[in-house]
Amino acid sequence: MGIERVQCDYVSLDETFEIGKEKYHGQQYCHIYFARLHLMRTLLYSLVPHWKPNFPVCTVLELEEGKECVIVGTLYKHMKLKPRVLDEYSKQKSVVPLVKPHNFMHSDDYLVLEDESGRVKLSGNIIPPEYVTGIVVAVLGKESGAGDFLVQDVLDAGLPPQIEFPLKSGEDKYVVLVSGLSVGSSTSNPLQFQLLIDHITGHLGDEKAQLFASKIVQVVFAGNLVEIPHRILNGQNLASEDFARMSEPIRELDILLSQIAAGLPLDIMPGPSDPANFSLPQQSLHECLFPGSSSYNTFRSCTNPHCFELDNVRFLGTSGQNVDDLDKYSDAKDKLEFMERTLRWRHLAPTAPNTLGCFPFTERDPFFIESCPHVYFVGNQDKFETRIIKGSEGQLVRLICVPKFSETGVAVMLNLRDIECHALSFTLDL
Amino acid sequence: MAQTKTPTFIHEIESLVSDKLQVVSYQWLSRNYMVSANEAKRVLQEFVQKHDGGLEVVYALSGWLKSKDPNYDIRLVTGPKLAEAQQEFDGDCSVQVYSVQASIPKDPAMLRNAEFVQAEELFKQPSSVDNCLRDYRFCEISNSFVTRKVDGSTVVSAAPQSKSAVGEGPTKSNTVQKSPKSIAHDSIDKVDAKPQNVIKEAKSESNGVGNTVALDNINKSIAEKEKALPLPTGKKKVPADKSVSVARGSLASFWGGASAKPKHCTPSVEYNNTVSNPAVSTENVQTACEEECDSGIDDNQIVSVRRSSNRKRRVVFDFSDEDEDDVVNLASPDFPNKQSSQDSRQDDKNTSEKTTLNFDSQEENKSRVKEERETDQKAHLPLGDNVSAISKCTNTGKSSSEKLQSCAPEARVNKDSVNNAAPCSPKRRKVMKTRIDERGREVVEVVWEGEETEVKKPDKVTTKNTDSKTNAANSAPVTKKPPANSHANNGKGGNKKGGNKDPKQGNLLSFFKKV
Repeated sequence: MGIERVQCDYVSLDETFEIGKEKYHGQQYCHIYFARLHLMRTLLYSLVPHWKPNFPVCTVLELEEGKECVIVGTLYKHMKLKPRVLDEYSKQKSVVPLVKPHNFMHSDDYLVLEDESGRVKLSGNIIPPEYVTGIVVAVLGKESGAGDFLVQDVLDAGLPPQIEFPLKSGEDKYVVLVSGLSVGSSTSNPLQFQLLIDHITGHLGDEKAQLFASKIVQVVFAGNLVEIPHRILNGQNLASEDFARMSEPIRELDILLSQIAAGLPLDIMPGPSDPANFSLPQQSLHECLFPGSSSYNTFRSCTNPHCFELDNVRFLGTSGQNVDDLDKYSDAKDKLEFMERTLRWRHLAPTAPNTLGCFPFTERDPFFIESCPHVYFVGNQDKFETRIIKGSEGQLVRLICVPKFSETGVAVMLNLRDIECHALSFTLDL
Repeated sequence: MAQTKTPTFIHEIESLVSDKLQVVSYQWLSRNYMVSANEAKRVLQEFVQKHDGGLEVVYALSGWLKSKDPNYDIRLVTGPKLAEAQQEFDGDCSVQVYSVQASIPKDPAMLRNAEFVQAEELFKQPSSVDNCLRDYRFCEISNSFVTRKVDGSTVVSAAPQSKSAVGEGPTKSNTVQKSPKSIAHDSIDKVDAKPQNVIKEAKSESNGVGNTVALDNINKSIAEKEKALPLPTGKKKVPADKSVSVARGSLASFWGGASAKPKHCTPSVEYNNTVSNPAVSTENVQTACEEECDSGIDDNQIVSVRRSSNRKRRVVFDFSDEDEDDVVNLASPDFPNKQSSQDSRQDDKNTSEKTTLNFDSQEENKSRVKEERETDQKAHLPLGDNVSAISKCTNTGKSSSEKLQSCAPEARVNKDSVNNAAPCSPKRRKVMKTRIDERGREVVEVVWEGEETEVKKPDKVTTKNTDSKTNAANSAPVTKKPPANSHANNGKGGNKKGGNKDPKQGNLLSFFKKV
């Protein structure tokens, strides 16, 4: 009787996502693009000699008709369906066809490559649906007579280097990933969450199940912990009873989280529906929201892109905004492919200042992925998907789409030993 | 020690499940009785084995599913689906009792309500208290690395407790802490229990007064009246109780309800009168009589009676001179009422599929009360006409649909009247204090009688409730009034209603008549 919970080392790597001392002085987003271009171009320049050793590298301004060369720059995707604020003010009715409900793509979309010197329209062997605004790539081709740049080949940065995967210890240690609890929403079933709590803390099940549960070393809640009724958040002054209604989900969440925190370490990340800042990187929810659970040393409130190491296995995850936004402006066969692309582009949220809210950093681009994670997860997706991708330098990355718990009742368990993962489902068959 | 405890547990579980209709989950059990989660599950298992039938059991299965992608599933299933669900699991899955309850709630989330309320309760305790929610001492898995900050600055390591859960040492510490907690839990239970009863009573009464349609309204009105009563968890239980209370509505519950509730309800009305009485001696008698009538009737219908009593009182005060006449006139119907009620009762039995226990019991009460009055008043009152009239109305009233219709509006009216009653009564009191003293001066005394009444309440209430019947018997004129009203009703609007309801409307009508 009595099982001691397995432990593991935790290192938080969230500093890059903290706004910290950055101040907003009315600066625009050009700094972040500049920082990105500068960083990525250095990287790409170092890769080009291996990729196309025989071609010169030049800037957009130096292009000459018929001369094959490599240019590096930031992509801009021109999309006729992309909603623009100005459209709302134009008096004339738009001739643009109606937008599909959740995607702004159109067959007429085209890409533009730009650097400090100028911009050029891309055509040829580059497929617009795969790309979005904000990526830095190197392209090989030549200027055509029409002023377009005829692309022959494209190079993206590729998977970043990865720290060595720790030697297999032979001991199973599990990490549970949950997202989209939506406490307080009509779709969420509190009983399922209660079961989750009881399972991972080891109340539920027989000895075998409890032994299994004792190997869970960490729980990560990837965004959308609560759902506050939209009706209340209309910018009007609130009646006193509405205050209660607004805080009720958070209070309930605190009670539930404190039950977990009493048993094992947990990280919470803010998501789009949480009472955090809207723009990425979302800063950690203040502990005063969770008076009960924050009194435990196991409770950690983290930023939204969240990076940490458990026993030297590196995790990187978001609450889903980056992939959801890619889904609006580009096309892929599944969400995992979007995730894979962001890794290959070495950028967590390429659409960030453009269509995704983002803090206007001046010195750096926090979403640049310097080091390849072993586990890359994205929260608040429709269903559980997972895959392992391999990089050219032997990197192995486990990609995980964490489904919305409130809708599916599914959490994800990942074994740190071999980064295998499986679904942890909670079914009510009453 | 756990072993020895088990039997008492089982006993209590049964009462919780079948009487209080509570969902007893292992988690709740564990926290409530301070045993480990595994022990609680074992107890529930034992309980289920001993008890076959009348219970719904929810099992928790956990194990790997037979799907091509590995999927560890935790599943709640009801007893009948258990075998089928087990098929879906790969190899052996763990099967344990999750909860035991009288019926499966429509919304599965209800299963955890009791548990969550309990967790909330524990959560609200001051942060310096280490309770079972905060340190997980009942969990099999311990984590000695968890620490908890208390009051911001000091850091108390929760490690000992969590460790303690492992060995024998812990049990001691647990037991020490347990006693206060269990008490707290008990008190909580009681609180939980009370509202249930109250509501049941309310319902049984309401059943008596009106039929099902009127239930809601009446409940509401009663709830409003009885804000004084704590109704913490009442809301949740209402749905469950409804069916049961309706079904049960036994004599016992009815009487119980009458005794308990009326005390709370009636005092406010009665006290006003009593206080005011000293000032106006002549009216005293009448008001008292009325009150007694009320109290007598209260057993049957709190709502309607109160309302009617208020109205009457007003009338009495305004036209104190005429009162006696009225009383005489009105009084006559009283008899018929009783008889009619008896009649109706018989009728009900004969005719009806409708007659429920409630109805009978109610009428029994009534008839008893009225018989008492009857005996006293027989000398005074002529019976004949009234009887016929009332019997008429009762007969007509029987068609259930009509009853329903008539009930609903009444209930609403009652509500209003109740609300009105409170503000009105103080005014009346002040007016009463205006009088001519020995020197021939008009003296207007403005006294805060509300406070007095509150002070006086306890005494008077008790006396009144106990004595009310005897009083009612003694004071002839008073008892007569309500019947008079009913009589009036019978003549005019009698067709619509059953015997019970007539008095209220009668009051209204009679009041306007007089004016």
